[in-house]
Amino acid sequence: MQPNQRRSLEFALDNLVWFMLLAVLVVFSLTVPNYFQLGIFANIIEQSSVLGVMSIGLALVIIAGHMDLSVESVAAFSAMATGILFASSGIGMGITLTPGWLVVPVSILVGLGVGAAIGALNGFLVIKIKMNAFIVTLSSFIWVRGLVVASSGGRSAQNLADELRFLAIQRVLGIPLTAYIAIVCFVGFSFMMAKTRFGRHLLMIGGNENAAFRAGIKVDKVLMIAFILSGAIAALAGWLLAIRTSGATANLGAGMLFNAFAAVVIGGVSLKGGLGALPGVYAGVLLLSSINTAINLMGLPAHYTQVIHGLLVLAAVLLDTLKQTIRKKLA
Amino acid sequence: MLDEFQTGSVSALEMFLEQVGYDLTTLNADNKTDLQQSQMNDVIALAPKAIILAAVDFNALAPSVDAARAAGIPVIEFDRQISSTVSDFTSVAGTIEIGHVAAAEVERLLTEKNGSVKGKVLQVLGDPGDPYTLDIQKGFEQKMAAFPEVTIISQPAMMWEASNAGTIVSDQLLANPDIDIVFSHAAHLSVAAVASLEAAGKQPGDVYVMSSNGAPVALQMIRDGWMQVEVEQPLYAQAAAVAMFMDKIVAKEEIAPGEYDVLGLPSVVTNEAWGPTIKIPGAAITPDNVDDPSFWGNLKPPAAPVTPVD
Repeated sequence: MQPNQRRSLEFALDNLVWFMLLAVLVVFSLTVPNYFQLGIFANIIEQSSVLGVMSIGLALVIIAGHMDLSVESVAAFSAMATGILFASSGIGMGITLTPGWLVVPVSILVGLGVGAAIGALNGFLVIKIKMNAFIVTLSSFIWVRGLVVASSGGRSAQNLADELRFLAIQRVLGIPLTAYIAIVCFVGFSFMMAKTRFGRHLLMIGGNENAAFRAGIKVDKVLMIAFILSGAIAALAGWLLAIRTSGATANLGAGMLFNAFAAVVIGGVSLKGGLGALPGVYAGVLLLSSINTAINLMGLPAHYTQVIHGLLVLAAVLLDTLKQTIRKKLA
Repeated sequence: MLDEFQTGSVSALEMFLEQVGYDLTTLNADNKTDLQQSQMNDVIALAPKAIILAAVDFNALAPSVDAARAAGIPVIEFDRQISSTVSDFTSVAGTIEIGHVAAAEVERLLTEKNGSVKGKVLQVLGDPGDPYTLDIQKGFEQKMAAFPEVTIISQPAMMWEASNAGTIVSDQLLANPDIDIVFSHAAHLSVAAVASLEAAGKQPGDVYVMSSNGAPVALQMIRDGWMQVEVEQPLYAQAAAVAMFMDKIVAKEEIAPGEYDVLGLPSVVTNEAWGPTIKIPGAAITPDNVDDPSFWGNLKPPAAPVTPVD
């Protein structure tokens, strides 16, 4: 194979999910009535914010060779904490701060604190007690959702403070500020993964934990940071979710875990660890949102969303396997 | 117990049953049919005086109802009617009827807005696997079939999750900018719908919003001007009716058909194929009557205790 051809093939393999996204957008634009308009594309980006941010944390832990099933419940708990403290209706306490904008950093810090604490507990149990990450985080998925129901008593908190809702309402170039927060997260964490020692260590640990340890990497410390980051990022996703829906209900975010997994896998992150990049995950999230939007516009029953998501994940895994085979041949 | 109607129902049932001399123990099936079936099996072994069941799935719980009754334990269906087997008592507002009330309100709102019953309605259902939402849809569309100039777009919010409803509304506003009314099948879905309307630059009243169940948050949205109608499920009356008839149910005495006054609401008991049933009509809550304390969403339980039916 010529070097040029080889470079082109590698480029295509590295960015396969972006090409899939492009193809899907073109097909839907041509076939689904009302799909091809700037407002719809802005909607897709906006609707990707919460899932996108949640997928970042999940991807970090999976790249490190572990698992975090608690992200959905952590996001719900963060949303409920934000709702209870800063919403004025339902069970909301309607806390106000002076000046009013302080509610933005304070609510973020509350959410991040809650998420980081749960992430730290997960990390401690997995790394120090040597429990299986799947079981530990599955347990967290259950008890944290239980905390959401218990803390709310099944009721909802609504009418979030105007300073928070501003982030969902105010648009720049047609896109709400919450979407920019998600984009900044993707850019920041992509940089961290690609250009920092921590990112490289995560990939190495995910590829071969023993080899990374022998190479002098502080595996436990890096993994603990990954779990804490995953919890904190999930909490940030929950904060965005509360802002998007102007409050929180006990079942807010239900079902997002599986979409986050789908996005991560479609985005090219290997469930075995050691492989994957966050830009691909963002493309995976956009791809899922594009499909959801098309289904909404076509008026298809929502069951089709699940069928298509499932098939898409299967296709992504098949493509990933194909990619690995081609790469081995190229090597 | 993931919504305010269910948690409110538990509080109301506890209060009214205590007034007539019964203790209530509550189990949460978390909207899972299999879990509720297991709970029924466990509860049958405990031999309570009666079981009050808000069935997750109208049909799947029928064998559990049969098993309880075979063990001599009366079963009362609360809010969710099981018609595929016989129960000892059923207290409902009627999901089909909620759809009918909603349709009448859509008729009124469209006439008010467009001069006649024509326009576009976005119907946001709950989870498509839940017969509760499907029955409301059935009742609503039955009545709306009389108005061919009304286009109804129906989309389900998977798992009754609010942000799914918000996504549906924001997408549909772009595809169908002439939507007149958004009708959600639960108040918490309307909250997300309103958030999407607000994010799309709409003002209160630009698009009419209505939903069902009568939760406090819906009443607040009516006061804020974002919502025009909430179809109430008469939670207090539904719970009070159970307490009023509990002695007869436990004693396995006949419940006579006829009209009964339940917390001031005229209600009718009929003998149906699935057993004696009391239907308490839901009311339309509008800006004119939103402060009526009899609506459970105002969270003012009746002061007077209920008395058992002789």
